[in-house]
Amino acid sequence: MNILNNFEYFKPKTKSEALELVKNLGDKAKILAGGTDLIIMMKEKMIKPEAIIDIGDIDELKGIECKEGCGAEIKACTTIEYIESSSELAKKYPALTFAASQLGSKQVRVMATIGGNSCHSSPAAETPTPLSALGAKVVISSLEGDRELPIEGFIHGNRKNDLKPGEILSKFILPEPVKNSACRYGNIGLRNAMEIDAVNMAVNIELDEDKATIKNVKLVMGSVAIKPLVSEKVPTILNGRKLNDELVTKVGEAAQSEAKPISDVRASAEYRTDVIGALARRLVKESYEAAREA
Amino acid sequence: MEKQIIKLDINNQIHEVAVTPMDLLVDVIRKQIGLTGTKKGCGQGDCGACTVIIDGKAQLGCLKLAIACEGKKITTIEGIANPETGELHPLQQSFLDHGAVQCGFCTPGMILSTKALLDSNPNPTENEIKHALEGNTCRCTGYILILEAIESYVKAQSEGEV
Repeated sequence: MNILNNFEYFKPKTKSEALELVKNLGDKAKILAGGTDLIIMMKEKMIKPEAIIDIGDIDELKGIECKEGCGAEIKACTTIEYIESSSELAKKYPALTFAASQLGSKQVRVMATIGGNSCHSSPAAETPTPLSALGAKVVISSLEGDRELPIEGFIHGNRKNDLKPGEILSKFILPEPVKNSACRYGNIGLRNAMEIDAVNMAVNIELDEDKATIKNVKLVMGSVAIKPLVSEKVPTILNGRKLNDELVTKVGEAAQSEAKPISDVRASAEYRTDVIGALARRLVKESYEAAREA
Repeated sequence: MEKQIIKLDINNQIHEVAVTPMDLLVDVIRKQIGLTGTKKGCGQGDCGACTVIIDGKAQLGCLKLAIACEGKKITTIEGIANPETGELHPLQQSFLDHGAVQCGFCTPGMILSTKALLDSNPNPTENEIKHALEGNTCRCTGYILILEAIESYVKAQSEGEV
């Protein structure tokens, strides 16, 4: 179980060297960043790449640029721990830094990268959910140039995404949070650490100038479908309204009706459905209160 | 597959080892270098028995390719005692004094995760200690004694006793 298949190991020093290798090796190669998902998949013989391209130590692919009034850029190989402990990121995007703190264990967060978390495209991944609620885009690079798309368009389903041979995910672009808005994240699993979320969720609410009427809301659920699920019903319930208990209940029911949870070793679909309602009600209240104080 | 010689900086000593790209750091440390204090538990990154400190941070030897560690500074449990006298690190001593070791299999990982935390945050809160150790599993249910050992060491250190 713990024996890896034979592969050739490449460690490019720059992004352009990496792109060259990715193009030349095509689907024979897998990209290694933190390894906390890839090496496990190789140990379990789910994949047997002929080559590994290790991009984990390329400085150009690491770091956070948080610009005053201009959102943030997070390079793909930035570790989850680095994101968790970024105070400038926490000021603008507390939902993301909190989600980062909830991933795996300390050692996993030190090794794992935010790019890897999206590229692994697990339906239960922690960071795509808040990234989606925050309106993040991914930048995909190849020798031909860069292309951008929203994170929802990048993740197609369980371990499936938009990356084509010759491409790597190079960074995330987060828009500046709008005035009178707040985003909150929550997750429920069977234990605190090293768990795979039964359900995770992020809610981003923007209020009108009166700081009471909801102008926009985005509720995103993870681990309830093959990819992060953006609620279509919740905005129709909340937009133009002031939050009250009746609306909170409706939001919970709407999220439950849209989710398509499965039963597996971690939770039954029935339990997941209960959790979806509870998380939706809690996070809508929390993000609404936070937006009022924003 | 053909082996190649790499240099690993482990406990401030350069080790030249012949590895294939497939060799995992935990296996190279244990079998080739002979430092068996680093344990291999689940092999899946869940239990933390294989924890080593790489460039100042606790990481998992079972998910790390050895070949990817060239040029990095690695510390194993053997590297934290006093190299001249062989005297235990006071954190190790605190684990002994508090009975925080039962079967001992998780202990190297527990101590290295703690050391990595304390090197960057010498006065952690109880929650910060728990957050840093959540990737280290003890099956003898010794968490309370482990926490006591760490808190006692932190207190002694902040009072200048060790």
